[in-house]
Amino acid sequence: MNFNSIRTRLQLWYGLILVVILTGFGFTAWQLERGHLLGRVNSELDRRAGFLATALHPRPGGPGRGGPEGGEPGREGPPFDQMSGPPPEEGPPEQGPPEGQSPGRELRLPPETAGMFDASDPNNFYFIIFDQAGQEIRRSTNAPAQALIPAEAGNAESPEDRRPPEGGGGPHARIFQINGDRAELELQTPQGSMVHVGGTIAPELQELRLVAFKLVLVGGGILLLGLAGGWWLAGRAIRPIADISATAAQISAGDLSRRISLTETGSELGRLAVVLNSTFARLEAAFAQQKQFASDAAHELRTPVTVLLTQTQLSLGRERTPAEYRATVEACQRATQRMRKLIESLLALARLDAGQETMNRLNFDLADLARDGADWVRPLAEARGLALVLELAPAPAPCVGDADRLAQVLTNLLTNAIEYNRPQGEVRVTTGVENDTAILTVSDTGTGIPAEDLPRVFERFYRSDKSRTSGGNGLGLAIGKAIVDAHGGSIDVTSESGRGTTFTVRLPVR
Amino acid sequence: MRLLVIEDEPNLLASLAQALREEGYAVDTAADGEEGLFKAESVDYDAVILDVMLPVMNGWEVLTGLRKTKKTPVLMLTAKDQSRDRVKGLDTGADDYVVKPFDLAELFARLRALIRRNTHRTTNDIQIGSVGIDTGARTVTQDGKPVEITAREYALLEYLAVHRGEVVTRATLYEHLFGDDDDTLSNLLDVHVSNIRKKLGHDFISTRRGHGYCLE
Repeated sequence: MNFNSIRTRLQLWYGLILVVILTGFGFTAWQLERGHLLGRVNSELDRRAGFLATALHPRPGGPGRGGPEGGEPGREGPPFDQMSGPPPEEGPPEQGPPEGQSPGRELRLPPETAGMFDASDPNNFYFIIFDQAGQEIRRSTNAPAQALIPAEAGNAESPEDRRPPEGGGGPHARIFQINGDRAELELQTPQGSMVHVGGTIAPELQELRLVAFKLVLVGGGILLLGLAGGWWLAGRAIRPIADISATAAQISAGDLSRRISLTETGSELGRLAVVLNSTFARLEAAFAQQKQFASDAAHELRTPVTVLLTQTQLSLGRERTPAEYRATVEACQRATQRMRKLIESLLALARLDAGQETMNRLNFDLADLARDGADWVRPLAEARGLALVLELAPAPAPCVGDADRLAQVLTNLLTNAIEYNRPQGEVRVTTGVENDTAILTVSDTGTGIPAEDLPRVFERFYRSDKSRTSGGNGLGLAIGKAIVDAHGGSIDVTSESGRGTTFTVRLPVR
Repeated sequence: MRLLVIEDEPNLLASLAQALREEGYAVDTAADGEEGLFKAESVDYDAVILDVMLPVMNGWEVLTGLRKTKKTPVLMLTAKDQSRDRVKGLDTGADDYVVKPFDLAELFARLRALIRRNTHRTTNDIQIGSVGIDTGARTVTQDGKPVEITAREYALLEYLAVHRGEVVTRATLYEHLFGDDDDTLSNLLDVHVSNIRKKLGHDFISTRRGHGYCLE
């Protein structure tokens, strides 16, 4: 058995708690039953002792006083213990002992009292009477040789048993004791005589054993039921965990498309499954993106390599003129430059992705940055007959970040704006501040980007211009976005067909 | 044999066209899918080399458009080397598939095989009487001895040999032996035919007046 399994541990806890509860419950029930039975024995002995005491020292109140417990037993006749059999009807009429009878004399018991101690059966109640001096003056024939109480008073069951019986009258000191299958009561009369009454409690003990057996049986049954139910419940409760674990194992084995089947989304495990599923989905998307990126990168590298291979194999095919060799070498150089740029871009992206590219955290003025960037590309714009318009609002607060990196982003946006502009068009650069955000926009008056391409322009290797004549590698905007993201900013694009495209960079202001 | 190369990378297009011309093919070029499809539909090329990633129309669209009208053998050229891309290319109607970057020698061999299959031959060797033509090595022998022959003469001879027994018109010969960029003089064919007859015997190529030429 796997003791680390949640189910097993739950089960063990269930079992432990159940055993404790059942034990406590069963023990209490048994104690109550035992108290009840012994109380009955106690009161039986008490009643008999009372009769004996009365017989020993008849009250001056006259005959008919059956016992010390109060009430009026004389009217209805004395109560009889069922265990001692029916009362002897044939006895002579009730008659109290003679007046002034002393314990030293021959003791005569009233018949009903004597009937309580039928000596013919050793299992019946017995009595031993001692006088004030501790001399035994009478004992029933079935009394055991040794009385329990004087010799083994220390074995009294509990202090409770020693208290005077209720309604027994203050002067009667009494001790109740149980030993083995015998119970014995010692009653000291006010006159100083001692009355020992005893009897077997084997039937009561037998009954108690039966009760205990029943309690164990019922408790065991409940425990088994509880354990079975607990096992089932625990299984039910952790079944979603098994599902989750199985799915996670499949995903770990490489099948990223697997998802946890959701039967219920309200429970804690259901919510966990929902969270895990969305994590798996993001994981799969990230993997797919990475795969696509690697595939695109390989594809982008294949083309210049193909050019290199074709050019060199063609050139080596036969003797060439120096001019032809020169043309071949130049073509190879262009292909190599393209590969170099691509590799640099890929490395930059990889570093940005890994968060290894450390950004300076310096104050700079966005308007200055825009002006420098515009100056940098001005010759290119003029060569194409484009107007470069600057609307630079002086910033009330400096931006914080890596000005060199952001200048790289701006240069990329500006060269794109020049590249994809119409002849005699315009490139407009604006800066400003809006709600604690510095804003830089670069607009062109080109043909615009088709609406379906707009969401994808920041994707790696995505080119709205499918002809690849621009010489770009489709990574410029992706790198720009990564740099702006690293600054906690954002970059967006809007475009209107035939009117132009506007890129907006937002950066947080200190 | 006349080929069309459709490829948008200018360096690659130029070097590929030059290499194929040096192999003796007449080569036309197209830099995008639309131009490529137009040329492929208007001329009976012996084979088309088609890049997949093309502006305006991609290679699949060109192939699908071309297959509506022509059975020209098409060799796809692509940087996508996944099996499903190759399957898609072949299923769309491409006859062969070469992954970039490729070896020129392999590309040429595949091209020869493509043209050979299209003319229902199984080997590169064609034997006509005492004349043997090796279309792989592009050599001609007579009685086992090599015959010196120019590239253009070889191309003319090969085309007639491949279509042996058929009367090949002058127009067809012009179409298959000269690319768009070649200067073609009206009597250029007659000069080449005359030179071949001098080298292999006057009766080797027969002239059908008003029709064209024929290799018996």
